[in-house]
Amino acid sequence: MTTTTAAEKKIIAVTIDGTPVGVPEGSTILDAAQKAGARIPTLCHHPSLAPIGSCRVCLVSVAGVDRPATACNTQALAGMAITTRSEGLFNLRREVIKMILAHHPLNCTPCPLNGDCRLQDMAYEYDLTTFDFSEYLLKTVEFPWKAFSTPILDYHPRRCILCGRCVKVCAEIRGLGAITMNGAGAHTVVEPVMADRESQSRCISCGECMRICPVNAIEERMGSAKGKPWETTKTQTTCTYCGVGCQLDLNVVGGRVVGVTTRDDVGVNRGRLCSKGRFGYTFIHSPDRLSRPLVRNAAGELEETTWTTALTLVAREFRRIRDNHGPQALAALSSARCTNEENYLFQRLARQVFGTNNVDHCARL
Amino acid sequence: MAKVIIGCWQDDLIDNRNTPKRLIEDGYPGLDELEKDNRLRAFIGWDGFFIFDREAPVVDMFRAYVQKVQEESCGYCTPCRIGTKIMADKLGSIADGFGREQDLEEIRKLALVIRDSSLCELGHTSMSALLKAMKTMPEVFEQAVRERRPVPRGAYHSIATAPCIEACPAHLDIPSYVDAIRSGNYFESLAIIGRKNPLAGICGRVCVRPCEFVCRRAELDEPISIKYLKRFVNDQIFSYAMTRLRSVEPTPLSSDKKIAIIGAGPCGLTAAFFLRRKGYGVKVFEELREPGGMSAVGIPDYRLPREIINTEVNRIAAEGVEFHYGVRIGRDVTLKQLRSEYDAVLMAIGAHGSKMIGMEGEEAKPSGLVAGVTFLRDLNLLHPRGEFTPPEGKHVVVVGGGNVAMDCARSARRLGYPQVSIVYRRTEKEMPADNEEIRDAKLEGVEIHFLTHPIRLEVSDGKVTGITCIRMELGEPDASGRRRPVEVKGSEFLFACDIVIPAIGQATDLSLISGDMPIKTTKWGTVEVDENTLMSSREGIFSGGDCVTGPKALIDAMGHGIHAAHSIDLYLRGETMGPPESERIFRMLKAMDLPQSPVNRVGNKPRRHLEPRPVEERMGDFDEIEGGYMPKEAIREAERCLRCYRIAMFVTEE
Ligand SMILES: Cc1cc2nc3c(=O)[nH]c(=O)nc-3n(C[C@H](O)[C@H](O)[C@H](O)COP(=O)(O)OP(=O)(O)OC[C@H]3O[C@@H](n4cnc5c(N)ncnc54)[C@H](O)[C@@H]3O)c2cc1C
Ligand code: SF4
Ligand code: SF4
Ligand code: SF4
Ligand code: SF4
Repeated sequence: MTTTTAAEKKIIAVTIDGTPVGVPEGSTILDAAQKAGARIPTLCHHPSLAPIGSCRVCLVSVAGVDRPATACNTQALAGMAITTRSEGLFNLRREVIKMILAHHPLNCTPCPLNGDCRLQDMAYEYDLTTFDFSEYLLKTVEFPWKAFSTPILDYHPRRCILCGRCVKVCAEIRGLGAITMNGAGAHTVVEPVMADRESQSRCISCGECMRICPVNAIEERMGSAKGKPWETTKTQTTCTYCGVGCQLDLNVVGGRVVGVTTRDDVGVNRGRLCSKGRFGYTFIHSPDRLSRPLVRNAAGELEETTWTTALTLVAREFRRIRDNHGPQALAALSSARCTNEENYLFQRLARQVFGTNNVDHCARL
Repeated sequence: MAKVIIGCWQDDLIDNRNTPKRLIEDGYPGLDELEKDNRLRAFIGWDGFFIFDREAPVVDMFRAYVQKVQEESCGYCTPCRIGTKIMADKLGSIADGFGREQDLEEIRKLALVIRDSSLCELGHTSMSALLKAMKTMPEVFEQAVRERRPVPRGAYHSIATAPCIEACPAHLDIPSYVDAIRSGNYFESLAIIGRKNPLAGICGRVCVRPCEFVCRRAELDEPISIKYLKRFVNDQIFSYAMTRLRSVEPTPLSSDKKIAIIGAGPCGLTAAFFLRRKGYGVKVFEELREPGGMSAVGIPDYRLPREIINTEVNRIAAEGVEFHYGVRIGRDVTLKQLRSEYDAVLMAIGAHGSKMIGMEGEEAKPSGLVAGVTFLRDLNLLHPRGEFTPPEGKHVVVVGGGNVAMDCARSARRLGYPQVSIVYRRTEKEMPADNEEIRDAKLEGVEIHFLTHPIRLEVSDGKVTGITCIRMELGEPDASGRRRPVEVKGSEFLFACDIVIPAIGQATDLSLISGDMPIKTTKWGTVEVDENTLMSSREGIFSGGDCVTGPKALIDAMGHGIHAAHSIDLYLRGETMGPPESERIFRMLKAMDLPQSPVNRVGNKPRRHLEPRPVEERMGDFDEIEGGYMPKEAIREAERCLRCYRIAMFVTEE
C-alpha cells in the first residue's frame, strides 16, 4: 500500500453552488463547502471523529444523482457539481430537524446548554416551534431510568438525539467501545456494552462521551449548579493530577469552580482528559482543605498564621539543620499533584540551595 | 400459482382489478410454500407490492409493514428512527378509524423525506411500496379516512433481509455484524455471527463467500470484504477467547435425549453446537484424530492454520459437546448400534473418496498418480509432524480448475517441486476456483494450461512418465450456462511429467450404511434425504453436508448443520418437522427472484485489500500468507456497507 501525505495529494476541482473550488483528493463535500464559504448545517459531525452521517441535516444535491447526499461523509469527486442551498434542500433539512425536535423535550430553560446549543440555533434558523410538529401526533416513548456505563454519568434518553458521537468517541478515541446503541426505531438508546456474559462495563469514567454530546444528554452527576454560558468565566490551567500536563478550563461562576471543560485545539491533550482531570474538581471548595498555613505554638497546637511567618520559620529551621548536621541530613520529597515544572524547580532547590541529592517523588513507584 | 390482482414492481404495473377472474395470467410459481392451507393474499417488498386477493386488507397491511420497518430500524438516523414512528402512529390511527383527511398528505410527504434522506437502504426502500400503493389505488386510503371505521386486519409474516443475507446458506445477519464492527463493538459482532455460525475464524478465511458476489456495494465500487471482516472480529477476540475458555460454563442439559453425530466436519460441528445449546446431550464421533473434516485435511495450512480450527472446536467443546476421536462408525461401532443407543443420529461424513476422471490408464493405479484429496490429506496429516514423504519426481501436473486443484498445485510448489502445471478444459473465465486463488497460484509459479484436457496417462514400468492431452475449444452453452468445451480433432500432445494429481471428483464412502442398516442413496452416490427435514429414509437418522449435496462448500455444509439441528430438535420433541418460517420465506423470495432498483447514491471508496507476504518468503513455509485487518482498516471497511436491509412481508388468510 502506498501512503500519500497531504502535501502530495492531488487537488481536484468541484463546484459549490456554481463557484469552482479546489480541494485535496479524499476531501468530503463538507470540506469543499467550508473552503468555498458555503454554510451547511451539521449536528452529528465533529472534527475529531470520523464522519458519522446519522443526523441527516447536512443534505446537499449532487448533479446527476437523484437522491440527496450527506455532505459530511460523501467524498467530493473531481468535477462534481454540488448544490448546498435550494428550496428543496431547505424543506428537507427542515423536516429532518423537525423530526429530531419532535422527539426532544423542548424545555430549554432548565438546560445548561440553553443559549449555547446547536439544536436550538437550528430550530431558530429553520423557524420551528412546538406547533410545527404537533401535526405529527407522535405517541411518546417512555424510557425507564437505567444506570449508564459509570456511576459518575447519567444518561437522559428523552434528550438524546442519537447522533452517535458518544459511541464513536469511546470507540475511536478512547479505544474502548464501552457504550453502544441498543433497541430499535424510536426505542433506541445508548447503553453500556456488557460483553460476553460479563456483567461489568469496560468504561473508565473518562467523560469523553459527555463532553462530545451536543445536547447534554449525558451529564455528570456532580450537582446541578452549573451556570449559563454567558455568566461563566473560563480559566485555562494545567491539570494537577499527573505529569502529563493536560490543559483544561476551569469554569467559574460567582467565584466557584462548577465544572471543567476543554478545547480541541489546546495543549498536549487536545481536549481529552481522564476521569481525575475532568471530574476531580470538587476538592477545590472542600471545607477540609487547608487554605492558610498552620504552625505549632508553644503548647504544641496548630495555629493559623501568615505565609511570611510560616515560610520564614521553614527557611530558618532548614538552614539550622543544614548548618549543624550537613546537607545530607535533608531530603526532598515532592508530590505528584504538582506540575512537572514545579517538580523541576523543587529538585533544583534541593540540589542547589540545600546541597543534597536526596530527592524523591511520591509517584516514583 | 398465486395470481396478481393488482401489483407494482419498480416501473411495472399489473392491474387486473377489472379483468374477469379467469383471465388473470400473471402468476408467481413457488408461492405456496409458506404454510399449507393458508392462502396467500398479498406481498409487500422493497420496490413494490402484489395483491393476490380482492379482499386483501390494504390499509392495515401497510400499517403492519411500516410498523415492521420501525421495529427493524436500527435507530441510527433521524428520518427512519423517528419518521417511520410517526408514519406507523398515523397509519395506526387511520386503521383504527381515527384518520383525518390531512393525514394522507402528511404521510406522503413524510414517506418522501424518509426515502430521500435516510442513511441506509432500509430507509431508502421502506417507503417505495407505500408510495406506489397510494398512487395506484388512492381510493382505498381515502375511503378508510372518510369512513372513520376500523379497517379489517390481516395475518402477517415478515422478515428483514438483504441480498447478502439471502445469498448466505446460513443466512447470517451480515449488515448487522458489519455494523457492530463499525461502532467498534467486536464482541457484539462475534455474538451476532455466532447466532448462525460457530466457526467464524474458519469462514473468515476460506468461505467461498456467496454473499460478496451479490453485494450491492459493487454497483458503486467493489463489494464489502465480508469474509475478512469476519476474520478480523474473530482474531480480535481470539486471545481473549482462549483465556476465557476455562471459565465458560457449559449450557445446562435440559433434556435427557442424546444425539450422536458422525463426522466432526463443518456440518457436524455446527449441528453439535446448536443442539448442545438447545440443551441436548451431544456426542461427536470422528474417524480421524482431529476435528475439522475437509477444512483440516483438505484445505492446506497456509490458507487455514490448524490452530484456528482447534480454537473454534475448543469453544464448541466448552459448550459441553463431547468428542470421540479415532472412532470410525461402520468399523468400530455399527450404525445400528449407534442408532439403538441414541435418540437421533446425524451423519455428516463428507466426501473424502476420489473419483476416476476417465483417463486411459488410471485404473492400473501406476505410481506417480495420486488423487488430489489423498495428496492433501497425507500432507495435512503428516507434514506438521515431519513425517510426510512427497511423491518422487520433478514435474507435477494437477488436473482440474477448482479450489482443490489450486490447493494441490500451490502446496506442491511449497513442497519444492520445481515445475507445477494445472490443466483445465475450459478458460480462466469458467474456472470455478476463486479469482484470488488463481492469481496467487500464478504468482507462486504455477503454470495454468487452459482449454486442455487429459485423455491418457503414459506409464512405463508402472510409473507415470507423462500425460497425453487434447486441446479444447468452447462450444454451445450447457444447462449451467457455461459454454461446453469440445475437443479439437487431432490436437493431442504429450506432456512429460512424473506426478499426476487429478483434483476433480470426490465421492462419499457409503460403507457404513450398506451394512446392517441400509439407507437409501441417490444415483450420484450421496445419501438420500427429505430436503425439508434432512431425515434419511430411516427414521431418526439425519444427514447433511457434502455427503448429501456432493462436494460443495463449508458454508453450505454449515447451513445443513443448522437445518439438521432444527429438525432433530423438532423430531425429539415429537413435533412436525419442517423448515422454520424464516427459511420458508427465504425460499419464497428465491422463487420470486425480484430485482432491486440500483443503488442511488454517490460513493467511491474501494475496498481495503489485505497485504500478502512476498512470494519468495511465503513459498518456504505453510504459514498464512497474509495478516488480517488492523482495527482502523476494519472500521473503514465496515463503513462502506450500505446496509441493504429490505423488508419482505407476506399477508395470509390466518
Ligand atoms: C482441498 C479442498 C479445499 C476446499 N476449500 C474450500 C474453501 O476454500 N472454501 C469452502 O467453503 N469450502 C472448501 N472446501 C469444501 C469444504 O471443505 C467442504 O464442503 C466441507 O468441509 C464439507 O463439510 P462436511 O461437514 O459435510 O464434511 P467434511 O468436512 O468432509 O467432514 C466429514 C467428517 O466425517 C468424518 N467421517 C467420515 N466417515 C466417518 C465414519 N464412518 N465415522 C466417523 N467419522 C467419519 C471425516 O473424517 C470428516 O472429518 C474444500 C474442500 C477440499 C477437499
Ligand atoms: S466515560 Fe469514557 S470510557 Fe466511559 S463510556 Fe464515556 S467515553 Fe467511554
Ligand atoms: S448521548 Fe449525546 S452524543 Fe450520545 S448519541 Fe445521544 S445526543 Fe449523541
Ligand atoms: S436502519 Fe438505516 S435508515 Fe433506519 S435508522 Fe438505521 S441507518 Fe437510518
Ligand atoms: S453493502 Fe452491506 S448490506 Fe449491502 S449487500 Fe453488501 S454487505 Fe450486504
